[in-house]
Amino acid sequence: MPNENLPGPLTLGRHSFAVQQRLVMAIVNRTPDSFFDQGATWDESAAMDRVHAVVAEGADIVDIGGVAAAPGAAVGVAEEIHRTVPFVAAVRAAYPDLVISVDTWRHEVGREACLAGADLLNDTWGGQDPRLIAVAAQFGAGLVCAHAGPLAPQTRPFRVAYPDVMADVLDRTQGLAARAVAAGVPAGAILIDAAHDFGKNTWQSLEVTRRLGEMTATGWPVLVSLSNKDFIGETLDRPPGGRLTGTLAATAICAWLGARVFRVHQVQPAREVLAMVSAIRGEQPPARTVRGLA
Amino acid sequence: MIIAAALCPWPPLLVRELTGADAVLPELRAAAAEAVAAMLAPGPDVVAVVGPGPRTARWPGEGRLDVAAFGGWPGRSGDTSRPVLPPAAGIGAYLLDQAGYRGPRLVWSVSEEEPAPECARLGAGLATQGGPSQRTGLLVLGDGSARRGPRAPGYVDERAAAFDTAWQRAVRAGDLRALLGVDPALARELMATGRPGWQVLAGACPGPLRTVQVRYAGDPFGVMYLVASLVPAAP
Repeated sequence: MPNENLPGPLTLGRHSFAVQQRLVMAIVNRTPDSFFDQGATWDESAAMDRVHAVVAEGADIVDIGGVAAAPGAAVGVAEEIHRTVPFVAAVRAAYPDLVISVDTWRHEVGREACLAGADLLNDTWGGQDPRLIAVAAQFGAGLVCAHAGPLAPQTRPFRVAYPDVMADVLDRTQGLAARAVAAGVPAGAILIDAAHDFGKNTWQSLEVTRRLGEMTATGWPVLVSLSNKDFIGETLDRPPGGRLTGTLAATAICAWLGARVFRVHQVQPAREVLAMVSAIRGEQPPARTVRGLA
Repeated sequence: MIIAAALCPWPPLLVRELTGADAVLPELRAAAAEAVAAMLAPGPDVVAVVGPGPRTARWPGEGRLDVAAFGGWPGRSGDTSRPVLPPAAGIGAYLLDQAGYRGPRLVWSVSEEEPAPECARLGAGLATQGGPSQRTGLLVLGDGSARRGPRAPGYVDERAAAFDTAWQRAVRAGDLRALLGVDPALARELMATGRPGWQVLAGACPGPLRTVQVRYAGDPFGVMYLVASLVPAAP
């Protein structure tokens, strides 16, 4: 646990991010079947074009994933490495300073990704492979400690119930973070993530959003992955392509409650929402103020 | 006697922290700083600060600008032990603070209702206070019309351009006596805050000027800004 629950800087790759900075992590899928982009960046040149685009839009981190979260065709270790690792190397060559995250639960993939230049392992399935922590420790990489409930990777929640969902989230994510620190993962590079939709129905994802302040109060940097997810779709009765407004509303709430990293599909609107929240909170100045002051 | 004077507008955006990430008109800020520095250069014994205000009154010399009154950053209200001045005089104090001036200050606000002769009398009093050997610097705060275009704070008044041309011509020509003829009612209607200060300036510097240097003139936001340094001829 961070020192006396006081948040500190987040150190990823060559960067140290202050507590009040709100970071955008852009999703770059190396999959043919992810729910939102439907394989738009399955082609490697299209994926690299997306990296160029999200960097230009102000992304701080790219999160490269080779396996869709939803059930579907099984993707083996070798195939996941093939999808992600050469691409990590290519992005690292193109952007020596960019923070590169890899979305994987497998230690074999994490190891190869770190060798190729990844700075952060986004373990969205929340410690399914206990050896992933050791990989992060070995390479000094960061680690996202997520709460996926009782679920195995690539499964959907089925009648999942919690006496207190946030208590479960806090228990699981802080437990993973403590294990990571004990294993030697740099404490300043560990994040916790409630993992909206993962092992949660819509009510439960709404509740962890509403109670996100309980996560930020732990002092651990909080990552939220809200973008276009089903809890937004069910709340607003909108298909994946119609969830931007809901995504941005949830983004604003989480930012207000202290989340520091936002994993998104649409970088530019998220960047604007975060700038707005930071200005309202008095943590970042407006771009340019003249009204009433001339 | 007045040994040097500076005329500055007082938009709050002169305070860098109020304009956000963008510097907004750094050239205006620089011109104001230069005018104040030039006024301070000969080493006045005291600096008189005159700006428009809610009433004609003398204020504590140690008074400050209340930046927080305009917003800005939470928790950055500065030295709150100093009394708060009306905004125009406060900007004057702020400019002196920024210039590092630590000498005595005579701070006055002048009502927009104050008739020209009263303004001139106040100026004459500032010039002669402390006796004939006291060397006084004068910092006058005031803007031209704020009704110079559809985007201006006061929208459009067709009379604004001629009004601003006239008073600026008087300043540039060193013809301060002409400023005594500016109509207070018209100035109010045109949202020209400078009128009382110009007339204080005219009363304080009744003789010829040695130099007038205009450091900035423009209306980028529909308010006429003029920054000038004025040096009276030696008596």
